[in-house]
Amino acid sequence: MLAEIGLAALTLAFGLALYAIVASVVGARKAWSGLILSGRNAALLTFPALLLATGSLVGALMTEQYQLTYVYSVTDPQTPAIYRFTALWGSQKGSLLLWSLLMSCFTSAAIALNWRGERRLMPYAIATMMATLAFFLGLSLIVENPFERWWILPDAPAAEQVVSTALIPPGAIAPTEANLRAGAEGLNPLLRHFGMVIHPPMLYLGFVGFTIPFAFALSALASGDLSTGWIKATRRWSLIAWICLSIGLILGGRWAYDVLGWGGYWGWDPVENAAFLPWLVGTAFIHSVMIQEKRGMLKLWNMLLVIAAFSAVMFGTFATRSGVIESVHSFARSEVGFPMLAFWAAMTLVALATLLWRWRRGELRDERQFANLLSRESLFVLNNVIFIALFLAIFWGSFGLPITSELLLGKEVTIGAETFQFYVVPLFIAMYVLMGLAPLSAWGATSLRRLGTALKLPLALTVLSIVAIVISGTGIAVAVLGYGVALFAGYVALFEIYRGAAARRRSLGESWLRAARALFRRNQRRYGGYIVHLGVTVIGIGVIASTVFQTEVQHTLVRGEAISVRDYALRFDDFLRAQAVDGRMMNIAAVTVFRDGGEIARLRPRIDDYPQMPMKIAGAHSTLENDFYVLLMSGDRERATFRIYINPLVNLVWWGGILLLIGTAIAAYPKVVAAGPGRKPELEDL
Amino acid sequence: MTNDNWQKPKHPKKKRSERLKFVCAGLLILAAVLYLLISGTLQGARYFITVRELLDDGSYVGRTVRISGAVDGESIDYDSEQAIIRFEIANIPSEYDDLATALHEALLDPAAPRLSVIVEDAAIPDLLQHEAQAILTGALRTDGVFAGTELLLKCPSRFEESTAPEGLSRIPEHQ
Repeated sequence: MLAEIGLAALTLAFGLALYAIVASVVGARKAWSGLILSGRNAALLTFPALLLATGSLVGALMTEQYQLTYVYSVTDPQTPAIYRFTALWGSQKGSLLLWSLLMSCFTSAAIALNWRGERRLMPYAIATMMATLAFFLGLSLIVENPFERWWILPDAPAAEQVVSTALIPPGAIAPTEANLRAGAEGLNPLLRHFGMVIHPPMLYLGFVGFTIPFAFALSALASGDLSTGWIKATRRWSLIAWICLSIGLILGGRWAYDVLGWGGYWGWDPVENAAFLPWLVGTAFIHSVMIQEKRGMLKLWNMLLVIAAFSAVMFGTFATRSGVIESVHSFARSEVGFPMLAFWAAMTLVALATLLWRWRRGELRDERQFANLLSRESLFVLNNVIFIALFLAIFWGSFGLPITSELLLGKEVTIGAETFQFYVVPLFIAMYVLMGLAPLSAWGATSLRRLGTALKLPLALTVLSIVAIVISGTGIAVAVLGYGVALFAGYVALFEIYRGAAARRRSLGESWLRAARALFRRNQRRYGGYIVHLGVTVIGIGVIASTVFQTEVQHTLVRGEAISVRDYALRFDDFLRAQAVDGRMMNIAAVTVFRDGGEIARLRPRIDDYPQMPMKIAGAHSTLENDFYVLLMSGDRERATFRIYINPLVNLVWWGGILLLIGTAIAAYPKVVAAGPGRKPELEDL
Repeated sequence: MTNDNWQKPKHPKKKRSERLKFVCAGLLILAAVLYLLISGTLQGARYFITVRELLDDGSYVGRTVRISGAVDGESIDYDSEQAIIRFEIANIPSEYDDLATALHEALLDPAAPRLSVIVEDAAIPDLLQHEAQAILTGALRTDGVFAGTELLLKCPSRFEESTAPEGLSRIPEHQ
């Protein structure tokens, strides 16, 4: 029954989305407000319809309806309830449905929050959002239907007796419950981790989120309403998308660190890079949109960035889901590849053509010219150039080079992690330098002397820190340089907060705490942005330390024996086998970790035997200074082999991520607009 | 930062020199990025080829390349004390419809070229198992063994889509 309900709801949502496109476009062209309203309502109705469809699939997962091929392939009778739920995004079909649900949810929110303020933009914006939704729903209905079921055709030849279809074939009978339960495959063990509970939905939210700014930008281009309306309507959507994508990327890194057992969190794999690309363009847009708001400049550039962010999202989705890109993370090779590529190309071309048309008509002229190379807007543009250079370098290495070489040479050429590092390290250094310089500069123009004066304190602190780092024994030049530029950006962020609070103290006599609170309340975006910069500084320090100074050893120990690694020691105490509640056998090593002679932790690295594969679960002792990370490679009661990693400052990567999220939340939080005559206080439009 | 020190440029000459500065800065950045991409690519690029291509063309011996093949589970040997992994991979064609089928057929095909692989100082990956796809970076030694420096294995999610399982068609008498 759930399959029928889900299929009907999915079909209804598809029909509603198609109707919303036609009604919105025709309504806007003919200026029929009734039709526009009807289109809006149809778009709003896609959300409850998809909630019903997704609810049906979740219901089927939770109630073990293995006749659904999706339930059969991602769960089994031993799967715990939490992973039954997360199995919704454990494979292609379910995650496409979740993608559509999130898309319709964001569309409904955008309509609810922007309908009053941006009435002129809404019809085309709704049409764009619904076109994207209809495309994904079409894929779900035609290519990757999550409501397909196993059927037996008793009269068919033996090899064709079992089929999976969404509609019941004539004469078909259902397989027995016992056979279905016995054959169910269970969730991929690698996906049983808290990071995987949140990482995919966050990534999808980020991807979907960038569709909203794109829809408003395309609407502005189509309707000719190129005032700042579309910027106002989308700036917080961009931040929301960016924050979700950031959470998704950070959790993905954490999952890799905890689960994949190689002591790292970023492998420069094409699929990882595909998720990073929209983040880079989104970051550039978040910065450059400020210039359009404050100075009326970069109108064309901002349009290009919004289109590029959406295009990167669609390309990333294609890269991940088509299976045509050689990656360790991609989904199974699927029929969705070609339609996705076609949709990506069509949307990008339509958007670029419309942009070109408006630009040639002179409708995207800037109100001011760049006057000074050291002005804040110039430094923001340079920062944008660095982000786009990072985007191009990573795109080239991940996709451009393999595709071009295949076309021109007939052989695929690829690059490895070390080449990506060669590309990005200088660009990240430049990014940190600009992150430090730009906040100290003024809009319009800044003299070198004025910038130099503002630089004195942060630069002095940076030099002192570098001296301290060198004295403490860090002799690798690139690491010292990296620490230096990251700290410089961080000191500038702190200095700016201090400078703002000190000015308030001087003029208003407020306490430090009160002054800081007032600063953040009055200029959320700017000071939230500084917290983000602090987060990026902390992440940078964590990445440098854990990459450059990682220690990795492997050693076999007999029971009772210990091995020293730097100032740590690990003793192998015992080995045992135990059975988990879900039936898997666990091979567990009991080890004790010492530091400077004192016991600091007892860890239990283990190997879990899942039916699909064995899985190593690391034991880790985490402090802010180091992660002592140990994997059991093999063993028995007498001997065991361990691989030990000491990852200095790796936890700064996660803590910096949290700081980045807090800063973005401050920047994106809607302001309460004060009450005016005859007007209640209300939240500022998104 | 306040807007109070913003000034309109007064002289067209000054405006032109500022524009020149922007053009120079832009060209400098463009040149630096191009240098990074070209020199990085020239240094780090390696062919992604099949096992058959590697074995058929002697010029690949000693050159860093990237290869892909089907892992023969029975050949996997891990020396945990020395942290050395040895296994064999069978050639899979560069074009295929379904990876799982391609891997399965490659290992059944007696005519498919096979290659011995050694990876030193490595943790044995959980995904190294029969019929997994190994993607290796390394070089073919003169003794015919491929010395891998990087070993990646495809996630099992690649094999997620259920093909019709034989067990489902068993129909008990009471049905």
